[in-house]
Amino acid sequence: MSAKKIFHSTTFKLITSFLGATLLQSILFLSLGANLLNQVMRAETENRIRMDLNAAREIYSANIAAVRGSLFYTALAPDFASMVEDRNGQELSDILSMVARSAGLDFIGIQTADGKVLNAKMGGDFRPEESENSIAEQVFGRMVPVAGTVLADRAFLSAQDPGLAERARIKILPDYEKAAEEKNILSAGLVIAAGVPVLREGRVIAVLYGGMLVNRGITIVDTVKDTVFQNETYKGSSVGTATIFLNDVRVSTNVMTAEAVRAVGTRVSPEVRDRVLSKGGRWIGEAFVVNDWYITAYEPIEDLDGKKVGMLYVGVLEQKYNDIRRKILSIFVLITLAGMALAVGLGIILSRRILSPIVRLIRASRQVSDGSLTPDIGPLAGDEIGVLQSTFMDMVREMGRRRSESETRLLQSEKQASVGRLAAGVAHEINNPLTGVLTYTHMLLRRKDLSDDMRSDLQVVAESTERVRKIVKGLLDFSRQTRLDPEPTEINRVVASTIQLVENQALLKGIAIRFHPGENLPVLILDRSQIRSVFLNIIINAIDATDPGGSITIYTASALSVSESEQTGVEITIADTGCGIPAEHLDKIFDPFFTTKEVGQGTGLGLAVSYGIVKRHGGTIRVQSEKGRGTRFFVWLPVKEGTAFAVGAEE
Amino acid sequence: MKVMVVDDEKIVLDSCRKVFSAEGWEVIVEPSADSAIEALTTVRPSLFLIDMKMPVHDGMYLMDRIKEKAPGVPVIVMSGYHTREAIEESKKKGAVLFLMKPFTPDELVEAVRQVLEPKGA
Repeated sequence: MSAKKIFHSTTFKLITSFLGATLLQSILFLSLGANLLNQVMRAETENRIRMDLNAAREIYSANIAAVRGSLFYTALAPDFASMVEDRNGQELSDILSMVARSAGLDFIGIQTADGKVLNAKMGGDFRPEESENSIAEQVFGRMVPVAGTVLADRAFLSAQDPGLAERARIKILPDYEKAAEEKNILSAGLVIAAGVPVLREGRVIAVLYGGMLVNRGITIVDTVKDTVFQNETYKGSSVGTATIFLNDVRVSTNVMTAEAVRAVGTRVSPEVRDRVLSKGGRWIGEAFVVNDWYITAYEPIEDLDGKKVGMLYVGVLEQKYNDIRRKILSIFVLITLAGMALAVGLGIILSRRILSPIVRLIRASRQVSDGSLTPDIGPLAGDEIGVLQSTFMDMVREMGRRRSESETRLLQSEKQASVGRLAAGVAHEINNPLTGVLTYTHMLLRRKDLSDDMRSDLQVVAESTERVRKIVKGLLDFSRQTRLDPEPTEINRVVASTIQLVENQALLKGIAIRFHPGENLPVLILDRSQIRSVFLNIIINAIDATDPGGSITIYTASALSVSESEQTGVEITIADTGCGIPAEHLDKIFDPFFTTKEVGQGTGLGLAVSYGIVKRHGGTIRVQSEKGRGTRFFVWLPVKEGTAFAVGAEE
Repeated sequence: MKVMVVDDEKIVLDSCRKVFSAEGWEVIVEPSADSAIEALTTVRPSLFLIDMKMPVHDGMYLMDRIKEKAPGVPVIVMSGYHTREAIEESKKKGAVLFLMKPFTPDELVEAVRQVLEPKGA
């Protein structure tokens, strides 16, 4: 999978998860929000419409009170009763007309106790009563003023004013006609009326009555519209509407039909009629009114006898609320969309930030696999990615170190092999003539007739030859094809016996040798004498390098190999407090013939031989040194009999 | 006392002859295994000192022949290439001593004495 693909698929995953989270949240919020909004708005509008209905009721009642008041004060006038008693028709008629005008009454009249009637339209004649006058009857019956809603029949209205009867007559609009047998013309009128007794010496001599015809009237409904709804309009139509019903027929309304005329002569829906008129309750809720949906409130209007004769209605256009709701919802949706866009953007930015170091790491590891040990990983990030980056670089560095280590090791063994071959050849060739030199020199030295000069010269030859012999022996030791003679060995014993060999030498120089044997070390399979010679070589070197008063400390401990395989084994550490090995010499100390000792002091083969021995045991030998502070040799030997035992050194 | 020295190197033969003569011992030197085998038909030495590595036939071959022609005569093997294998092989073939080259006259004499005059004998 290419880095690009990884980048894209991960970006995609990140964005999808962001989007998913946003979407889920949005859907939840949208549905919850919409629900809550609906509930709150519904409660709010219903509450409002309820209050509006109460206000409308107040206005309606105020109108009744106004009628009642105008009549009451007229009847209270000091000579009104006597005028009635005197049947002063012309004067009364003038007064009635005046009151009707000033109080806005559609009709006003007087009915006497003996059944005579005078009204404003009659022009002064008391006539016998022709129609039933429920208001007057109520007042006569109760002897107190009455006021309220009255359902007036055509006869009554005609008797008051033929024009009034005409105004009351309402044709039910075609769409709202009922079955043929029912009459589809409304001739009765809904009347706001009052009656007050006209008293003469404690007797009711007559009733002054009057009222307003609601049918086709606009005063009350438009007052409601103006005061309660403040004539608010929405998209060309009034937000608030009010209606007064006679039974279920609109007789006074500012609800408009599609033709933009007042919807007089239309009926309320059967549900509302049933609820309000039949059961006498309020209706609050949405309803389809004439040609629009409204949030409505209806309540019954009762006449003086408590009979339900009509309804009072207020309603506000639902459209407005729906639009508000839609607007809020669309804002919600917009926010959601913005959130999603944000999620995508965030996903891209985040994935860039997270992934770009990773993509760089992928490229870097490709560089490493192509052989580069200094891959470009870009700037270190400050988070876990940064940790990953630096871990990666550690790994690369470690790889580099191990590579150079194994290269060094390879180089070392190649060196050893070639030097070994050379040494074997040289040794064989040199040892024969060396035998001659040694023999003849020593034979000459035996002679008694030598001068002192000759003797001392010969002595030099003999000693030099001894040195040559030593060097060649070292060469052969180093190169010889030595088979190991392995046997189970306690490494601490080998170390202790080695120390015994050199203890006196160290003591003489004033150097302390301390040994800290590790406990429970595994038994190793070793060629004891060879391993001992390794330790001996290192310890003698340490003694040589350490000044009097210094010390050599030797530890043994279980340890894993430092190589990749992490084999179990034992590590023997030999640390001195000597002069240390200069850094530039560290990588040469295992080379054959490398020595820093004075000429004649060392062959330069000791460590090379030691290296070979340890290697043949499958172990490793490492050195750490700091100039002036001392040197540490680490000899690591494996626990198990490794393959190295079977392999002799190169020929 | 008669020592036969077999070596392809003249200087070794000369050296041995000089040392043994000085000790008053009789020395027979042979430059190769084959010449040594041939010489064995006429002489019988009391000790062999033979080189391990020689051209044509080496010391090991010669030791087998010696066992046939002069059984019981001790053999000292010498070599300038003294590996552990060489030492063990020569021991296996019946050599009584392995003498590492180079050697001083004293070491040579000491080796011979060790073989011919064991301590306590």
